[in-house]
Amino acid sequence: MIARMRLAVGVLALAAGVSAQAEPPLPPPYAGAYQPQGVDEQGFWQKMDEEERRLAQSDMVIRDPALVGYVRNILCATVGEDRCGAVRPYILRVPIFNANMAPNGTMQVFTGLLLRVHSEAELGAVLGHEFGHFEARHTLERFRAARSSTDILAWAGVLGSLAPSYDVVRAYRNLEITLISSLYSFNRDHEREADRLGIAYLNNSNLRPQAAAQVWERLIEEYQADALSKGLKKPRLDRVPFYATHPPQVERATTLALLARPEAATRDDGAARYRAALAPWLPQLLDDQIKLNDFGASEYIIQSLAESGWTAPLWHARGELYRLRGAPRDLVQAAQFYGEAIALDPAHPEAHRGLGLALLKTGQAAAGQKALLRYLELKPDAADAKLIGMMIPKEVPAP
Amino acid sequence: MRQGFALPPQSGKTILVLRPSVRVAEQSTGGMAEPRAEWTDQARRHIDAALVELQRQLGNRVIAAPEAYGEDARLVAEHQALFAAVSRAVIEYQFFVGNRLPTKKRDNKAGQFDWSLGPDVAKLPGADQADYALFLYTDDQYGSTGRKMLQIVGLVAGVGVSSGVHAGYAGLVDLKTGDLLWLNADFQMGGDVREADGAMKRVRQLLEDFPGSTIAKEAAAPAATAQAKP
Repeated sequence: MIARMRLAVGVLALAAGVSAQAEPPLPPPYAGAYQPQGVDEQGFWQKMDEEERRLAQSDMVIRDPALVGYVRNILCATVGEDRCGAVRPYILRVPIFNANMAPNGTMQVFTGLLLRVHSEAELGAVLGHEFGHFEARHTLERFRAARSSTDILAWAGVLGSLAPSYDVVRAYRNLEITLISSLYSFNRDHEREADRLGIAYLNNSNLRPQAAAQVWERLIEEYQADALSKGLKKPRLDRVPFYATHPPQVERATTLALLARPEAATRDDGAARYRAALAPWLPQLLDDQIKLNDFGASEYIIQSLAESGWTAPLWHARGELYRLRGAPRDLVQAAQFYGEAIALDPAHPEAHRGLGLALLKTGQAAAGQKALLRYLELKPDAADAKLIGMMIPKEVPAP
Repeated sequence: MRQGFALPPQSGKTILVLRPSVRVAEQSTGGMAEPRAEWTDQARRHIDAALVELQRQLGNRVIAAPEAYGEDARLVAEHQALFAAVSRAVIEYQFFVGNRLPTKKRDNKAGQFDWSLGPDVAKLPGADQADYALFLYTDDQYGSTGRKMLQIVGLVAGVGVSSGVHAGYAGLVDLKTGDLLWLNADFQMGGDVREADGAMKRVRQLLEDFPGSTIAKEAAAPAATAQAKP
């Protein structure tokens, strides 16, 4: 009872503390073709320009003009046309939840982020956060903070070794821990500032700012689902570990929910448009996620995407997820999921392929071969056509 | 150097130079690299000029790789990454005898130098006009005043503090077959690349074992030099 009361008081204090934070004023946009100032900034920009030359030619970059243009439009809709001109977004085929931004205006958006957000407003919230780092020149400040800390440590180390007594060594260790801790906490404060800037952009846009908190709420649920399926202890996402680079997810979700303008809650979040724009890429993004071999997280992502209605690609992805885990019970369920996909889209070749393979493994040879045959009919030039053909004895004469 | 390969001096070959990777930074007191735009620009300019001059002395013609776009640019980027990976493997497994890869042990005992980027190098833009491709990489960090002070105090205190990083490697690739013909790597190079004279010294060191080279070796070679010894 006392514990519960204390918790209630704590939550109240948190709420009061956060609501006292005013929405920060937006920094002035980078004017025209901004040129870096001072040796540190110039050095970083040139280094990143060189990196961008390499990034632009990388095989990890997705070069679909429609998708890149769509992501750019969401960024512009979030931060405003006068700001987004300074950014060059690149979409990287990396199946993890992340995006980042370099000081020279290179923005990297990972496909794992595109898979996990459900609407234009949610994507805008994350892109706005990254853009906040860029406009507030956080990379430069972090570099300078790290430089002064390592300078102090280097001097302390050399001077301390002049008098190597037990007390001096202990003082050095303490200093080291203090500096590391303050660097990480400095980092977390930058993330908080970027969160506040991100939500301020969203508040001033036409998108629904309440979506920002949803991103984190769903990520928390994904982590919990993942831990559950691995039999791990429930992760504590409300605490700050010593080496944390970001504030805890629970804090971010709470803060963003409180900072979103309440009267903007009725705005459109563009979920339907987002689904339509991402549809051509969804099968590949799901496939990349499934191949991470992270059953709990993948199952959670598929289920949460299916909240807006099951589609053939979602059923197929779920079938793949279960078939690849491959326990006998998984294969039975996979066959059922492929069946659902075929019911929605009878011409989905890969669903027939998965169904055939799942049935073969559960001992239903005739039905399995029939499904594989259908796959080859639908996609005769498939990369694995010969391999699949060998599983249908009548199709390929013995060599 | 690859066995059976010889490049006689004054043979008038054409060498395609891919955009060298040049990084120049200042080393902070704590040892962090602080990228310096002006130094990097100067170094790039001086190294390019020194390269043309030294190859002219060797009797070779140097052409810079044309700026590439689209598919071509991706091909160049892929080959530069491949060259970096192969050179790292050569430095790691060929230059240090005790560290040979099991698959290359027998060959290497007989003094083999057998590495290749594959025949696709022939498709690089500009490859049809040249015989060989030269890849060049330098990474420099110059100790800041603070770092040097720390080094001096460290000397008194008996703590070893190193100041500056000067690494470089250069490699020659046959543009017909993709074979790596020659590679030189050195992690303690001389010459201040921020100045014309220093860049000349640096490029001379990088090319001192260049096939058909008549460049005189530096009098006192650095102790930690690691070079391809067949």
